[in-house]
Amino acid sequence: MRHVKDIADLERARREIMKGRDPDARVVAICCGTGCIACGGLTVADAFRSEVDSRALASKVRVLTTGCHGFCERGPLVVVQPAGILYQQVKPDDVAEIVETSVEGDDLVERLLYVDSASGEKIVREEDVPFYKHQTRLILGRNGALDPTSVEDYVAIGGYGSLAKALDAMTPDEIVATVKASGLRGRGGGGFSTGRKWESCLKAPGDVRYLICNADEGDPGAYMDRSILEGNPHSVLEGMVIGAFALGVTDGYIYVREEYPLAVANFTRALDDARAAGLLGVNILGTGFSFDVAVARGGGAFVCGESTALMASIEGLPGEPRPKHIHTVERGLRQRPTVLNNVETWANVPLIVDKGAEWFAAIGTEGSKGTKIFSLVGKVNNTGLVEVPMGITLREIIDDIGGGIRGGHSFKAVQTGGPSGGCISEDLLDLPVDFDRLAEAGSMMGSGGMIVMDDRNCMVDIAKYFVGFLKDESCGKCTPCREGLRQMHAILTDITEGRGEERHLDELEYISWGLEQTALCQLGSTAQNPVLTTLRYFRDEYRAHIEEKRCPAGVCKALVTYSVVADACTGCTVCAKKCPSDAIEGEPKKVHGIVQDKCIKCGICYEVCKFDAIAID
Amino acid sequence: MAKEERAPETEGGANASEQGEVREPRIGVYVCHCGINIAYMVDVRKVAEVAGTFPNVVVARTYPYMCSDPGQSLIRDDIEKSDLTGVVVAACSPRMHEPTFRAAVSDAGVNPYLLDMANIREQCSWIHEEPEAATEKAIDLVRAAVARASHLSPLVEREVPVTPESLVVGGGIAGIQAALDIAEAGYRVHLVEKEPTIGGRMAQLDKTFPTLDCSACILTPRMVDASRHPNIELATYSEVKEVEGYIGNFNATLTRKARYVDLEKCTNCGLCYASCPVRNVPQLREPVGIPRDLSEKDRTRLDAIIADHGIDAELLIQILQDVNIEYNYLPVDALKYVAFRLGVRPATVYHVASFYTAFSLEPRGRKIVKVCTGTACHARGAVRVLEELERRLGIGPGETTEDMAYTLLTVNCLGCCALGPVVVVDNDYHSVVPGDADAMLARYETA
Repeated sequence: MRHVKDIADLERARREIMKGRDPDARVVAICCGTGCIACGGLTVADAFRSEVDSRALASKVRVLTTGCHGFCERGPLVVVQPAGILYQQVKPDDVAEIVETSVEGDDLVERLLYVDSASGEKIVREEDVPFYKHQTRLILGRNGALDPTSVEDYVAIGGYGSLAKALDAMTPDEIVATVKASGLRGRGGGGFSTGRKWESCLKAPGDVRYLICNADEGDPGAYMDRSILEGNPHSVLEGMVIGAFALGVTDGYIYVREEYPLAVANFTRALDDARAAGLLGVNILGTGFSFDVAVARGGGAFVCGESTALMASIEGLPGEPRPKHIHTVERGLRQRPTVLNNVETWANVPLIVDKGAEWFAAIGTEGSKGTKIFSLVGKVNNTGLVEVPMGITLREIIDDIGGGIRGGHSFKAVQTGGPSGGCISEDLLDLPVDFDRLAEAGSMMGSGGMIVMDDRNCMVDIAKYFVGFLKDESCGKCTPCREGLRQMHAILTDITEGRGEERHLDELEYISWGLEQTALCQLGSTAQNPVLTTLRYFRDEYRAHIEEKRCPAGVCKALVTYSVVADACTGCTVCAKKCPSDAIEGEPKKVHGIVQDKCIKCGICYEVCKFDAIAID
Repeated sequence: MAKEERAPETEGGANASEQGEVREPRIGVYVCHCGINIAYMVDVRKVAEVAGTFPNVVVARTYPYMCSDPGQSLIRDDIEKSDLTGVVVAACSPRMHEPTFRAAVSDAGVNPYLLDMANIREQCSWIHEEPEAATEKAIDLVRAAVARASHLSPLVEREVPVTPESLVVGGGIAGIQAALDIAEAGYRVHLVEKEPTIGGRMAQLDKTFPTLDCSACILTPRMVDASRHPNIELATYSEVKEVEGYIGNFNATLTRKARYVDLEKCTNCGLCYASCPVRNVPQLREPVGIPRDLSEKDRTRLDAIIADHGIDAELLIQILQDVNIEYNYLPVDALKYVAFRLGVRPATVYHVASFYTAFSLEPRGRKIVKVCTGTACHARGAVRVLEELERRLGIGPGETTEDMAYTLLTVNCLGCCALGPVVVVDNDYHSVVPGDADAMLARYETA
């Protein structure tokens, strides 16, 4: 894109881009988010390019590789615009047919359409698919409309218009007031008012301030920040530049997990393009305002999502938190006032500046405004990223958008808020999802992971999983976290391995209390949530492990045995072939049997049996 | 400083008659209520009742406060009336009232060292919550005290000359403080430290937990005090070779390690260290510099990475990221070289390199297999996928196969949660169902 001289020139530049594009041209948008790439999205995209070339359609058809559309379950996803036809699970072999039928022609490739599992109907348009229909996709919706490596694409849909408006028509104080009035709360987990954070930073003494985008999305089971960074990096950058202008900052940082190489690549590209276009760097849009952003890659430490640890890590030090008697808005990076906001929070800022605080505040509930992106994963039919207004119920998300539990199993729990969150049981499914209501239920919003579990998930095992995770990720600086988690993990291991005792439950609650009261940072002081919520809602499962030495979900190896259901076994021999320890014996077409002495309880026979002939007791 | 000594039997006392004939011990047991301090948890009457049945016990009583005047006269009266030769008081800690009761039995003509105490308060009633079990324990404690009392011999007190000096081994913060306390009390102290300076571990710390106070601010004034105190004799760079003797009369032999510096004249200017051609002065860090074994080629590789980022200590993590990619791990010499070039202490570089999971300090295999064990993958059976790969490769997570072909790692979330369980081989993402991991990896082996 050419260099933009001043604010008025931005609109001219946008018109120039639009003039070069045929509004009626067919666009084939192929999702190349990490999920779809894993399913072969890139080869599908290549197939489309060569198909379009070989049919000499390059001038009439645009092949667009976009970021994540959200419906990762059905990837690779292809959307043909302007009709908005959604093809799912597309293979390279399907490409020629799609180009011939829907790009050159106006027909449909019926077999690639999404079939609604409830009604059995084929659905043509992306927006009519139940997964998308119940969402409000303010942020994610734009992912499907642009190539993340193209600043032109972002400008074409009105991108950087909010920045122009902020620089041209608003004072820094007005921007802060607008963000405050919108009710935007931090999307990274804490849910602190973004406007108030900015205000406190402005009031803190000192001329030099810093601004950071927290893209260290460490919560396992959450990947919305990754998808925004990969799919629409300029939206985050625009938010940061607006924030920098409001706060009088000249140096910004983005701290990205090293597990997200594509996000690093796309954001770095966005920085270069924006600098070249005059939207970042020295003298932005000719206004004399200067601001630049540096990328810092993380080192794979969960605790670096914590503000003080993150800042230590940017300074090249080990990511160990410090006590926060003095907040980072007063003394953060290099002891200077620092504003740290999460990716999704920054991506919301341009929307608020563009459409106004009232518009934003009209979405959501009284205490939680706007939309929130959740990663709906686990045992639901439609996994993926969903963006919904605050206040929607868990049941709507899981049943209407997620399409219910997969494989005919029954719902048991939903885990929200990552390792610091909690597990919520079925009787709370009508809970409206907002910051405060989730906290009341003992969980938290967190960064938006939503992991659905069914009757085959053991809640003691899940509690052990989270405690084990945090035990490994504890930086070891403070004793309650380092030692408390180790003891809790030992107790939970005892319970899952059949050595549970009555006193263990009290001990877990006692250590939890100690952690909450005394740990140095949020990693430790919220680490008890998964244990306390599972104890609160699923105490019966703990009791079954302790008193009856039984794992009701059939997960805890020491407490289960595998056996063949004689009536169901057809003697197909699949299990015997797959068994890694040769523990299954039997002749073809006769009922098989498991030799318990040899069985290592790996569960492969259960997974591979097509006749439900393996029982777990 | 020893005041007690076992007296020969012939010196007399309540336990031996004039003719040297040994009498059967006659013991009285006194169980104290201590108000409710003991009685609320321990059934004191039952304790006395049972104690009455122990061998040699001729009388067993309880009283609300044994340490009170009426309590003490109870003991004195019994000694006279029942001709007791030993007394057991079951009450508080002997630290509290042993002198009281010793005085009481002494008044009644019994050697004070024939008294024994059973601590049924601090070590029983206060710390237990089940009355029955606490009572059982109190009975056991009394039984043991009675048994001890039956074997006690009388002692007499006399004064012997001692050398009022002390030896403190180890000049860390604990040793320094101990030396200062003793010295302030007016006694001479020999403070022995094996390193060239006192200060110990605390001198290496930045802050102390939990207050995060500055460690040096606490330590250094005490180090100075210790070195200047007229009662403290510092013996640094010395070790204790032998200690012999007994309380009040010890002999310690110190080995003073060889030194070639006149300590009286040394000002710690450090010039000798800086100009020493062999640099084998003990206890100083290995000088930071270019590691001897680092080849010219490696220096060029590392220089290129550092030049990409710039010489700035803040960029350490970013530089190590690229070194980790370049070498597939972080060789020790590379760490030392980066430390030298950035002007960062090698310990800091090692701290960072060992803190972050992205860095490996061990060589890794040509292919890196990462199994995502994030929550979504865990809920869908990632553990079983991991176990399959462990079985196939014959290694555990974090390990490398012997032929250096594969390194197996777990990662906490790859952000492909919708596809879980996810396995990444090099940079290819795979959605793997439990049971299919073998087949997934087999594709790489044939390729």
